[in-house]
Amino acid sequence: MSTPPSPRQRQTQAPRLEFSRVVRDFPDPTGKTALRVIDRVDFAVEQGRFTAIVGPSGCGKSTLLQMVAGLLAPTAGTVRQNGRAIQGLNRSVGLVPQQAKLLPWKTLAENVELPLLLARVAPKERERRGREIVAAVGLKGFENYYPHQLSGGMQKRASIARTLIYRPELILMDEPFGALDAQTRMLMQDDLQRLWSSEGSTIVFVTHDLTEAILLADNVIVLSRRPAKVKANLAIDLPRPRNVFEPFRTQGFTETYDRLWAVFKSELRPPPLGGEAVP
Amino acid sequence: MSKASLIEEEALAGGKLRRERLLHRILPFVPGLALLIFWQWASDRLIRSIYVSRPTDIALRLYEMFASGEILPHLAVTAQELVLGYGIGVACGVVAGYALGRAPRLARIFEPYVMAFYGIPKIALAPLFIIWFGIGLWSKVALAAAMVFFLVFYNVYMGVRGVDAELVRLTMIMGANERQLTRHVYLPAAAPFVIMGMRMAIPYSVIGVIVGEFTSSVQGLGLFIHEASSTYDPAGVFAGIAVLLAFVVIANMLASRLERRLLRWQPAIEQGQPEG
Repeated sequence: MSTPPSPRQRQTQAPRLEFSRVVRDFPDPTGKTALRVIDRVDFAVEQGRFTAIVGPSGCGKSTLLQMVAGLLAPTAGTVRQNGRAIQGLNRSVGLVPQQAKLLPWKTLAENVELPLLLARVAPKERERRGREIVAAVGLKGFENYYPHQLSGGMQKRASIARTLIYRPELILMDEPFGALDAQTRMLMQDDLQRLWSSEGSTIVFVTHDLTEAILLADNVIVLSRRPAKVKANLAIDLPRPRNVFEPFRTQGFTETYDRLWAVFKSELRPPPLGGEAVP
Repeated sequence: MSKASLIEEEALAGGKLRRERLLHRILPFVPGLALLIFWQWASDRLIRSIYVSRPTDIALRLYEMFASGEILPHLAVTAQELVLGYGIGVACGVVAGYALGRAPRLARIFEPYVMAFYGIPKIALAPLFIIWFGIGLWSKVALAAAMVFFLVFYNVYMGVRGVDAELVRLTMIMGANERQLTRHVYLPAAAPFVIMGMRMAIPYSVIGVIVGEFTSSVQGLGLFIHEASSTYDPAGVFAGIAVLLAFVVIANMLASRLERRLLRWQPAIEQGQPEG
């Protein structure tokens, strides 16, 4: 496996990530017919941008990320990274899953440094970068704790640190803050915004929370109900850093929210006949 | 409140804690002790001692056995058989369980066979093993290993198959190759199951060896117990059993120590309780 080029090496001739007419079917439980989950999805993500993907639950947001990570292949169409179609497991992305998924038998520091250990980075360098990133996500002093001794929020921070430490050229986040309480969530959003602007990474962030999408992203892609199509791709040009604690005080937030909601609300309820009910 | 009284109170609390801890240590011995006392009392009162002997007689017999050196060759042979049988069984069980756990295609072919052989009462094979491996050490080693193997195999196999697939995928995306995956994900994830299997296998290795020796042998604790029982020497039977018991207890203590070292990362409540 060749090492990925560093984020700043390649300039933006080709978009970093590109979905073109991507379709994905899953067999339904009887195995006879196929259920179409993704239906001709097109969008591109530019280098250094923060892109959020929102959509009603069950519409296939996570499926899109799995295709970028090479865990699923599209039924039709292509997903390209730096102009090349993704085939097989994609080791040039970093994936932050819904649950923190730390290795329970490794301490926090060992977990965070694991990607560097796997890449055979020299121990000194590894420890230095480990210390730096652990401090950056606010976990200094907990290096020798095992995951079960940490709170959910702390595990999540460690999980994000574990991805940031090896500077993958593209970071995929799958509703990373979904399971956190409201306060922890705001703190994490604030931290992520800060880390992202200092690291300059390209992030694709799946969420079902419109406010979160507006506060973090440069672009919000709205997916339709299943089978998912791109309903809209809105640029969010609110100034940074954005106040995640009091979003409504940000100039232009309400207007942006209204714009997004107008697109989103029509996708919330299924048509009168058939489909599943939305509570 | 004065400082002195605070310290005094802490000391009192400390003392209470120490007493509680001591009680916890002693408590497990109470039922055993009660049984021994009842046994001693009941012998020749409720049941004739020719059937059940009595603890003091057994202790005396144990002392004689060791003092005269009569038991030592038996002990040496049985210990060797146990260590070899257990070691070979565990090693094969871990390797085979791990291999099939990692290779689902292979597992689909071989799992039914392993399960079928698991169902065979290994004790029924004892006479065959004597024919195959001779009357000496190796027939007992084979029998013990066969009993240990399946237990360890099954635990490790289930453990490896149960590894969180998302952890595996994530670690692969982070850049792990097969060897690194084994070292950082599969082996540590399987460790609780390996240890569980190892603990459960201890008594089975003893049964395997003793049954083998009962069936046919020239030396060993099993033979000693068998001879004692056929010459109406209940004290000898129980003395032999006491020695076996000591084996199991010591082996269990070693396994606990290993478990504590390898499974430091587990939450205390779940320690050593993967399903078996």
